[in-house]
Amino acid sequence: MAEEPVFNRIAVLRADRGVSRRDLAAALGVHYQTVGYLERGEYSPSLHLALRIAEFFEVPVEVVFSLKPFPKLGSAS
Amino acid sequence: MNLRERWNLHVARAMEQDRLVALHRTRRRRRLLVVAGAASVLLLWADAAVSWAIAPSDTAVRVNLVLLVVMLAIYIPVVTALNSATRGLASLPESRLDERQVAERLRAHTYANRVMRLILAGLAVFVVVATWSEADKSQIPAAAVFLGVFALWWTHFLLPLLVAGWRLPDPPPDDDQDDEQDDEQSDDQAGAA
Repeated sequence: MAEEPVFNRIAVLRADRGVSRRDLAAALGVHYQTVGYLERGEYSPSLHLALRIAEFFEVPVEVVFSLKPFPKLGSAS
Repeated sequence: MNLRERWNLHVARAMEQDRLVALHRTRRRRRLLVVAGAASVLLLWADAAVSWAIAPSDTAVRVNLVLLVVMLAIYIPVVTALNSATRGLASLPESRLDERQVAERLRAHTYANRVMRLILAGLAVFVVVATWSEADKSQIPAAAVFLGVFALWWTHFLLPLLVAGWRLPDPPPDDDQDDEQDDEQSDDQAGAA
């Protein structure tokens, strides 16, 4: 079964909060490369990890993850 | 912390060190490493075949030793580089891996298992065909049996790492590398100014 893409805004949130990949990885208890793969959309996290990422950034999970691409900054929608 | 945990921690730290990076920087190079690793395993199978053909004899012993030395000369750098590239994905205990690494390891084991089934089937067919003409009078040297079992075990042991190395995408750049690149660009711009 082909894996359905899950889009995320981890890189944007991380840059906004000034958090490095290694810091985020340490807070989540994952390898720092996993954060990179998540940001590149090459790995879709488990529900548990997704919730913990949302919790880390103190936002609802749908702010971080979506089944549809996020609108680009400055676009009308 | 008991001895086993200490050892696991030591191995986990070792896997995080960049070793032989030039050998596994690109996907093409990693796949060449996998081919070299597979060749090293084939040398073990060749070892068993030599023993089957000419053991027991001094020539067989000499050929076996030469093949083992060549095999180790290929195997050690290949496994070191692949373990560094995969960050110990196939070597570390599961408790030292995160969910992505565990999932990737399971995938690697699944593919390795399929390959192993094909090897076992091929081996069974080979032994039947090779001993068919002599029927119940056929004899296989004990050295060949031992080396064959050893080659089988080694193949089973190494395949998950080879599969993981073959599948590994280019890792995302490290933050530190990003910073270093930024610093280099800043230096270049400062130099140009």
